[in-house]
Amino acid sequence: MSTSVETGSFKDYFRGLYQGVTSTAKGMWITFKYVWSHKPVTIEYPEVREVLPEKARMRLYNDSQNCISCTNCANACPVDCIYISSVSRPKGEDIPKTSNGQAIRKILTQFDIDTALCCYCGLCTTVCPTECLTHSHDYEFSQYAVEGFIVDYLDPEVKQWRDRIVKNP
Amino acid sequence: MASQNPDNYQLSATEPNVTTEEALKSQLMTLNMGPQHPATHGVLRVEILTDSEVVAKAIPHLGYLHRCMEKHCENLDYRGIIPFVDRLDYLAAMNMELGYALTVEKMAGTEVPRRAQLIRVLVSELQRIASHLMAFGTYAIDLGAFSPFLYAFDEREKILRLFEEISGARLLYNYIWLGGVWNDISEQQLERISEFCDHFEGEVDKYNNLVTHNKIFKDRTCNVGTLTAEDCFAYGATGPVLRGSGVDWDLRKVDPYCGYEEFDFDVPLGAGEEGTIGDCWNRYYVRMKEMKESVKIIRQVLDKIEDGPIMGKVSKVLKLPKGEVYVRTECPRGELGIHLVSEENGKKPYRMKVKSPCFTHTSMLPFMAPGQMIADFVATIGSIDIVLGEVDR
Repeated sequence: MSTSVETGSFKDYFRGLYQGVTSTAKGMWITFKYVWSHKPVTIEYPEVREVLPEKARMRLYNDSQNCISCTNCANACPVDCIYISSVSRPKGEDIPKTSNGQAIRKILTQFDIDTALCCYCGLCTTVCPTECLTHSHDYEFSQYAVEGFIVDYLDPEVKQWRDRIVKNP
Repeated sequence: MASQNPDNYQLSATEPNVTTEEALKSQLMTLNMGPQHPATHGVLRVEILTDSEVVAKAIPHLGYLHRCMEKHCENLDYRGIIPFVDRLDYLAAMNMELGYALTVEKMAGTEVPRRAQLIRVLVSELQRIASHLMAFGTYAIDLGAFSPFLYAFDEREKILRLFEEISGARLLYNYIWLGGVWNDISEQQLERISEFCDHFEGEVDKYNNLVTHNKIFKDRTCNVGTLTAEDCFAYGATGPVLRGSGVDWDLRKVDPYCGYEEFDFDVPLGAGEEGTIGDCWNRYYVRMKEMKESVKIIRQVLDKIEDGPIMGKVSKVLKLPKGEVYVRTECPRGELGIHLVSEENGKKPYRMKVKSPCFTHTSMLPFMAPGQMIADFVATIGSIDIVLGEVDR
């Protein structure tokens, strides 16, 4: 740490002293202004919750009623965390339709997403033809074990917390 | 310590109590900095041989954040690589995406609409400010000042909030897509960016008063870790490290990409106002000045932005012709180069090599370290501003 104070003359010593005092005072003045004039920006989290922007990408939610088992999302996923399996519908049975009018030709038997692997990039939601796979605003899903992160979207319990994770509460 | 070891004393009858020069030399002590050290900006481990408090030798050890990113990319389609490219330099993900998108677009010959191009410049300059704010804040922490970090995060939060609104994520955006950008920016958000620019220029002056021109800060950083222009050329340094040594080299000016040639801005250079050219203070001050230049570019983008499409024509399953391409872009930390080799009608790259600025700068540490005090070495690591996600890939 070679400075003018160490190597310089007597005059330099006092100049350094003066600069030290003035620049520190200037910095302290800025800090003191923050004390009185600046509003706190932190949020007291569990009590106060931030409203997330509309496009925020949190846990995925699949509305399995509208899913047509096209596996576009599983193909687009860069980390392969979506597991889908389906069987073809028996002949003669009525083909149900999704809310936007597409025929559901296959019966969905498995739709699992490993939330621990998911990287929340949003590529799967953009390729979904029926827009049934969306990012919800639910960010509180900590688990005790890694296995708990595999979410089965055909489970009736998942439909129960659908109300909890609707966008824009 | 030598004095505790009686073997080091060689007393002779003719010259009592005189030690030889060899005996006076103290033993070198090995000291590990990191991998979980608060002053190393990530999981960098530096093995230091210290002679009392002076660093005799420093050996950086890498690989604590290695994710085989380049190998992963060989098994992914071109769109799926973007989330991986985000994770290179996680503090400047927009610039990483821009570099990758430009590479693939150059190969595919895609035209990017003008609005998308301007939005790209806008977000990458905002990201540059956010990244430099992080560099400023953590550098102040390295040197023992805590509150500047909080002030910097206050401003950075505004940029991240904006990015969260337009892209959906705070850090790893997946926003710049091949052929354009994912979402459009609304008028209201552009208004907010404009307000942020007006507010932010005053903030930079405040940071300069608080930290840059502080006597203690200058004593810690001036004449420390000096790199001459020749050293920078020899090691291949880029970005603020090279410009801090007074070399006028900015890829936005030298090799313009993404329409940077139409913007009017200066390239700040280290001039040695307080110490010698190329010391830590100069590298740091180049970043502070660059934030103001970024604000200048953002203002020009806001003037020029016009309505139009945000996505160019890109086929649904992207297949590139056979060939290889190298594209370099100016990231907050230096030159990011992406070398892409593709096979005929390949959906996946044959090879993707990333030239990262942080790796180059980390390799300069053994050169800069010898002869420094340990405290100065911390200041040196902070001033080259490395992100280990990019070093290890």
